Amino acid sequence: MRKTYIFSSLLLLVILFSLFGEQGCKNKPAQNTDPSGRIGFQFKEKLSEYGFFKGKLNALNPRDGVLSYELSTPLFTDYAVKKRFIVLPKGKAIKYTVKGVLDFPDSTIIIKNFAYVNTVHQQVMIETRLLVRDPADKSWKVMNYLWNKEQTDAVKHITGAKVPVTLLDNDNNKLFTNYQVPNTNDCKRCHIKDDVLIPIGPKARNLNFTVPGAKENQLLAWAGKGVLTGLPAIAAVAQLPNWADARHFTVTQRARAYLDVNCAHCHTKGGDAYNTGLFLEYEQNNPDHLGIKKAPVSAGGGAGGLDYDLIPGDAGHSILLYRMNSTEPGTAMPELARTVVHKQGVKLIREWIHSMAKKP
Amino acid sequence: MKHLFPISFLFLLVGITLQFSCTSPSAVQQEYKISLSFKPGEEAKIAEALLSVKDSTRIFLKKGLYKFDNLSIAQVSHVSIQGEGYGQTILDFSQQSQGGEGIRVTNVKHFTIDGMTIKDSKGDLLKINKSRDVVITNLHAIWSKADSTSGGYAIYPVMCKNVLIENCYTEGSSDAGIYVGQTDSAIVRKCKAAKNVAGCEIENTSHAQVYDNEFYNNTAGFLVFDLPDLSKRGGHVKAYNNYIHDNNFRNFAKSGSFGTTWGVGNASPGSGIIILAASDIEIYNNRIINNNSSAIMIASGFAIDTKAGEKINANYYPVPKNINIHDNTIAMGAAFPEPAYEHRIGKTLIAIEQQLNRLDPGRKNKRIPLIMYDGISSNILTKGVALNPDSICIRQAGDNVFVNADFLNIANPQHWKPDTNRKPFSCDLPVEGH
Repeated sequence: MRKTYIFSSLLLLVILFSLFGEQGCKNKPAQNTDPSGRIGFQFKEKLSEYGFFKGKLNALNPRDGVLSYELSTPLFTDYAVKKRFIVLPKGKAIKYTVKGVLDFPDSTIIIKNFAYVNTVHQQVMIETRLLVRDPADKSWKVMNYLWNKEQTDAVKHITGAKVPVTLLDNDNNKLFTNYQVPNTNDCKRCHIKDDVLIPIGPKARNLNFTVPGAKENQLLAWAGKGVLTGLPAIAAVAQLPNWADARHFTVTQRARAYLDVNCAHCHTKGGDAYNTGLFLEYEQNNPDHLGIKKAPVSAGGGAGGLDYDLIPGDAGHSILLYRMNSTEPGTAMPELARTVVHKQGVKLIREWIHSMAKKP
Repeated sequence: MKHLFPISFLFLLVGITLQFSCTSPSAVQQEYKISLSFKPGEEAKIAEALLSVKDSTRIFLKKGLYKFDNLSIAQVSHVSIQGEGYGQTILDFSQQSQGGEGIRVTNVKHFTIDGMTIKDSKGDLLKINKSRDVVITNLHAIWSKADSTSGGYAIYPVMCKNVLIENCYTEGSSDAGIYVGQTDSAIVRKCKAAKNVAGCEIENTSHAQVYDNEFYNNTAGFLVFDLPDLSKRGGHVKAYNNYIHDNNFRNFAKSGSFGTTWGVGNASPGSGIIILAASDIEIYNNRIINNNSSAIMIASGFAIDTKAGEKINANYYPVPKNINIHDNTIAMGAAFPEPAYEHRIGKTLIAIEQQLNRLDPGRKNKRIPLIMYDGISSNILTKGVALNPDSICIRQAGDNVFVNADFLNIANPQHWKPDTNRKPFSCDLPVEGH
């Protein structure tokens, strides 16, 4: 009797054990797929469904609560004309941060619209990119919307596209190119730092200026509206030079701002080009990391038979300039978001490299 | 009380079994929740599937020719791309119009690519960045033309952890066929590489094992480099049981002008193994045959950059140390390969042979010794005079095995004395595990 009791309780325990064990095995992957237990942000099929704009969609006329903004030095994308907006959740504000991007509340949507100027000087919408801070897991998500020919709406698009366009550059020169709409992984490449997807542009220092035509400094205006909290005295806020403003900034300041915006999201510790050791942030001052007499690591043919990333005084033999001045895949830098040469950018960097020779 | 022992034993057994079935990593890796299959003609669908891939997905590519601009996978876990075998499932990237590589994998955990040929991208062929537990197997990664129009690296894991490259073949890279960079823990085995500038290169990578491979007909067969200003230091690399032969191909690397930079352009045609600025390296039981400029070369960062000393930090030390070379079978051909005469380092090696024979007629015009050490030791940093301060240890049978090439005096022919005395370098092997 006693023996049977022990045996049966043992059997029960074994069964219980194996049940728990099974449960344990089954639970693991389920936990991995949805740690919060909540459904994350779902992107809508069409841009029009969000209701960001009023009137004709391609006029990008923001509704109340859709905040437009500009950057003092923007990223170059094939001479695209960009319009940028931020949508904050009701009653929430952005928190000021000294370094890096501003601290956006959950459910923030950042909208970036890309258009080119056609040969009759009309703006033609190509794509709209959304960055959303998902409240479910507090991470940023990306989506791209490709505009239709009729310019009436843009549709969710993850695979990227090549759009043949004939555009006018800043000097009204006609340029034909296959504009590259990025796929969602392309978006991630530039936006990932230390394995986390983040916005790039809206840093305090790159927003800290008075947009032409506006009455006051952009950050002050935001603070006044109550959409930005914690802003210190504006004089204490860092300012990224406007790369095109030769009246107020030196060649070095402009060049470094240009490299910061166009290169440093990848060329930084933790960025996509971390492995190269070439780091181009505005505050970087290690000459090796800036590429001065630095040999390339993994540029392969992209180095164009040249020895150093940057030779002071010798732009013609500097890999940095060579790659900016190319449109060949494998050579062109940045690798994404550019299919034509940015002549003005190349000119600025050339001047900067030449100017470096004058210093001891 | 009598029953206590068998009962607790049974509990223990059950416990162990359960533990095993839940945590065994191989069991988890074998299963994929989602399985997708594609055939040629479905390239657009494949590109889209990779962009929207979910955790735990296996993608099967049926045999045939696929043409892609480029492909990418990012920020997922447990993904496998499976073909029907090299030469069967063929991915052609000759239409690449953007980006630096054919296939790019970023931030993926448990990534496997198996059984296909990938070819002819503009930049690198397969770049795997910041990923871990990576398996690359039965993959042929080739450029149809082996010249400077080829991309840089065929198989290119960088900043990864735990990489296995097995049963792969690479051809035509203008840099390295198999290039493992800034990675911790890598195995390269049973692979072949031919007609690349470097067959296989382990760069700033720690805890790598390279064995049972065949590297042939490259400019240089096998390279272990550490470069400055990078995210980590290499070292603890072992290469054994490899067959490294006939690496006498011209150097067609485009980067660098052969000598002033760090890159693979520095490799002289005719190089078997090159160890540059790397430490804790063991090279043994390899067959190193007919690499006709230098079977094994050990060089410091100073050999190619006078400012190497300024770049010393926790991630970089320009002087190679703890180098153990033993029990290899080495043989060299009768003469330098033609392309060596066109190459800066090649010319230096030719000069070493000539100088040795000039200084010692008793050598009777023998070839350059099998192992060439540049002789730039940490004495240059410490102002020391020790004969072998960096534990360069060589245990190789035979004659004409070793030369300290005295690079520091190479520009000054009167004082330049390459030295074949191998005694200071015949130190004991370290005890395994230390």
